[in-house]
Amino acid sequence: MDRALQRTKILTDHLFQSSPSSPAQTPSLSSNACLNYSPPELSENYAFDIKHMRKLIDGHNVEERDWLFGLMRQSKLFNPKVRGGKVFVSPDYNQSMEQQREMTMKRIEYLLERGVFRGWLTEIGEEVQMRKFACFEVLSIYDHSIATKLGVHFFLWGGAIQFFGTKHHHDKWLRDTENFSIKCSFAMTELGHGSNVRGVETVTTYDSNTGEFVINTPCETAQKYWIGGAANHATHTIVFSQLNINGTNQGVHAFIAQIRDANGNICPNIRIADCGHKIGLNGVDNGRIWFDNFRVPRENLLNSVADVSPDGKYLSSIKDPDQRFAAFMAPLTVGRVNIAVSAVYQSKVGLAVAIRYALTRRAFSLKPNEPEILLLDYPSHQRRLLPLLAKIYAMSFAANYLKMLYVKRTPQSNKTIHIVSSSFKATFTWNNMQILQECREACGGQGLKTENRVGHLKGEYDVQSTFEGDNNILMQQVSKALLAEYVAAQKRNKAFKGLGLEHMNKPCPIIPSQLTSTTLRCSQFQMDALCLRERDLLNLFVADVSQYQAKGESTERAFIMSYQLAEDLGRAFSDRAIFQTFVEAEATLAAGSLKDVLGMLRSLYALICLEDAAFLRYGYLSVGNAATVRREITKICSELRPHALALVSSFGIPDTFLSPIAFNWIDANSWSSVEH
Amino acid sequence: MASSVSSQQDQVLVEANSFARILTLNRPKQLNALSFQMISQLLELFLAYDEDPNVNLVILKGKGRAFCAGGDVAAVVRDIRSGDWRAGANFFSKEFTLNYLMATYSKPQVSILNGIVMGGGAGASLHGRFRVATENSVFAMPETALGLFPDVGASYFLSRLPGFFGEYVGLTGSRLDGAEMLACGLATHFVPSTKLPMLETTLRNVDSSDPVIISSIIDQYCEQPSLKEQSVYNRLYVIDRCFSQKTVEEILSALEREVVHRMDGWISATIQTLKKASPTSLKISLRSIREGRLQGVGQCLVREYRMVCHVMRGEVSKDFFEGCRAILLDKDKNPKWEPSKLELIADSTVHCYFSKVNDEEWEDLKLPTRSKFNLSPYAIAKL
Repeated sequence: MDRALQRTKILTDHLFQSSPSSPAQTPSLSSNACLNYSPPELSENYAFDIKHMRKLIDGHNVEERDWLFGLMRQSKLFNPKVRGGKVFVSPDYNQSMEQQREMTMKRIEYLLERGVFRGWLTEIGEEVQMRKFACFEVLSIYDHSIATKLGVHFFLWGGAIQFFGTKHHHDKWLRDTENFSIKCSFAMTELGHGSNVRGVETVTTYDSNTGEFVINTPCETAQKYWIGGAANHATHTIVFSQLNINGTNQGVHAFIAQIRDANGNICPNIRIADCGHKIGLNGVDNGRIWFDNFRVPRENLLNSVADVSPDGKYLSSIKDPDQRFAAFMAPLTVGRVNIAVSAVYQSKVGLAVAIRYALTRRAFSLKPNEPEILLLDYPSHQRRLLPLLAKIYAMSFAANYLKMLYVKRTPQSNKTIHIVSSSFKATFTWNNMQILQECREACGGQGLKTENRVGHLKGEYDVQSTFEGDNNILMQQVSKALLAEYVAAQKRNKAFKGLGLEHMNKPCPIIPSQLTSTTLRCSQFQMDALCLRERDLLNLFVADVSQYQAKGESTERAFIMSYQLAEDLGRAFSDRAIFQTFVEAEATLAAGSLKDVLGMLRSLYALICLEDAAFLRYGYLSVGNAATVRREITKICSELRPHALALVSSFGIPDTFLSPIAFNWIDANSWSSVEH
Repeated sequence: MASSVSSQQDQVLVEANSFARILTLNRPKQLNALSFQMISQLLELFLAYDEDPNVNLVILKGKGRAFCAGGDVAAVVRDIRSGDWRAGANFFSKEFTLNYLMATYSKPQVSILNGIVMGGGAGASLHGRFRVATENSVFAMPETALGLFPDVGASYFLSRLPGFFGEYVGLTGSRLDGAEMLACGLATHFVPSTKLPMLETTLRNVDSSDPVIISSIIDQYCEQPSLKEQSVYNRLYVIDRCFSQKTVEEILSALEREVVHRMDGWISATIQTLKKASPTSLKISLRSIREGRLQGVGQCLVREYRMVCHVMRGEVSKDFFEGCRAILLDKDKNPKWEPSKLELIADSTVHCYFSKVNDEEWEDLKLPTRSKFNLSPYAIAKL
């Protein structure tokens, strides 16, 4: 509409509204021209096939996902609310902790009845694993509590039975777990020990007279803590405990324990307390457990790695306790894979909401009487949100890579999975919190309303940087592993192989002294820059550690002292590994609009990585080049602006799972929508 | 009161009052089945009224005992048989465009559903703002028995019915009466047919486009019908449990499990109906409703257009032609579906119906651009 015309309409509307209209009618407060909600779908074009893009970034089981979205949308249990003529589903976080826990369980029962979990533990193969991942991602979009509760039941307990147990455990427990005849938990963390699992203080001894293990909580720091399901629902748990046989400590082992009877009464010799209200995830009943000479039958030891004979002899095929522990823990990586991937989906919710809002919300005009400017038409707003969009695309490809790596795992790939899952879990969950915070702020005050999801998700997902391995510790493990690779390659005088470190075998890449736009957008240059940083930091880290060692420090102490380089190196590894998956995904596509847009996103992702302080700190980029990078970022942002809607629509998150401000927020907040 | 009548063989009668336009579908012998000509005319009229400041309201009704029994599928099949599936494509393209226009209309459309409302008839009414059912209403989406699938945007409106009632109605073609239409939300009002003339008279003179006012006018003639004891709507619990399953096969086995639990004629009949329908139709219909649940009305129509073009080309399955032969032409009611069983249809076959048509001249349905300035919140919510 012509600006003058529009202004005239606004003024006319104001005038008409102030004149007394027919008294019989309620004064209509319908929005006038200046406040009209204009659906972005009508003004933004899709330059590429968003269904194709969704398939690419969701990667698998798209139909399965939509079925599950539909199951939740159609049930009153998922708390549907109509806002602005659309249905939105999201838990009622205004309910008490107890109510939220009960609702979470009811939702699980509903999904169970619909066959969502069919085959999750009783089928084997790649197909069911990918199906599980897909369902888990979809459920985590609805609510972190339901995802966590299911994660504990299926992945932690179920996974422990599958991987730590042997055939008789599988036969006895898997089917009952799948159909929720039993409700399960996983008791590893203690008040005094979290990441350091080998330090847990719970003690188990064997009584050969009765053929039972006796589990004890010897001190307050040994109480099991944060045990999801323990406070209300769980009937069974897996207890991680030191195993003491005839006075010899054989290290940490896992035991099946029934903690409640079928009626929900706590078993004798067990004490349970609630962990209480939390900053999020209140639909999960986290509890604390104490064991007082609690007895379980001998066959309740999960004995894939080690066993105790009826007469009390300790038997293990792996003699070295370090290796035994590593073999034991390896299967738990699935939890990290899940967390990493679901973090990506929360960021998608945040960005879809914030970008859709930015395409409909206006603020300030450049001149008096001009229409106000759309938030996303401000270069500053683009600079805030669009690089995050690039990050999410990169993380999506990396998440798909990680899932495939896990599903196609072999004994040889265990180390790679451990390193990559640690690095991605930490990086994605940190990114998620950063992205959600930016999105919250980009939505202004509306971001603070729980119904708009973005702000609330921060509290719900904050825990991801802590559980299943504290992020900082995971990243230290990454750097340690890289150092070990380095040392191994040097010792045997062999080339680097695996973890994407092959670039270390080539000559050191050189950054041109004067970067141009063309160079900056070239994927080879981008890869070179990221490899250069990783390579140099690895060299520096190795040198730093050996310097400490030369001064007589132990290896462990040297690691602790070199933490700054370790952090930089961990980030360098992650960024490069993520970038590599992006390049590979892009390479599968034929030339066309889809590939072009992905090319822009890939460049944007690479360039924001180049803004990491390490590039200036260690001199990989000159001050001049850093400024060129910065300029190029704003340029790509403006080029991506027309694709913003298509790029968030490609996430495939149904409207119902976003929030009112992502759609007609004027109607959603109108007087007529107020319940009176 | 000025009254003018259309000249185009009177297939749609037009009555213009001060602010209301009354359109009457006028092919009573064919139960007002929508011909290409009727669709074109309706499209023209709706487009013109959208822009006409003198029109506040459009009333759509049918002459005789039907509101509208569907699209004129027999004619479409004749066209395709005579050589060119594109004539059929053209028919659906126009019809779906009309459906989209109605769904995103700037003014209230009041459809008086005093009789049969099936297939295309549902598409021409249910997307509008107000749907008035009566004791004579009979609604059904019978496409799966015909080798087709619920089209005309049904994947949008069926999928938004409570629970999994939409899957039930769309897959079985089950008939609903006026009370059931109101209960599930397909109808917005229920007015006994004896009160329709008075309702019309009042609506003719309404000088507002405000849906709240129009709704309150219709409310004055409304009655609250009661569901029959045997109504399917009283079986929502079983319907939800069975029709929420992931695949058609799983829906059938869920129904069969229910039969074991309790001998129930309705469940056995439902199983029989599903077993008589085209297996290909069932599979693509289910997927269409499931996808539609998460899409806007425009996306639904674009997807359904792809699907219907595949159906007409008959490259994947010729069930549509077989269904029309058995039900509409030979009337032996004994279609021979091919593939004949659900388990013979691979996911990849189903997938074909949702992909672009492999023909250089073919393109996706281009829906008319709607002005962002006069869309009602009701329409915006459907995008």
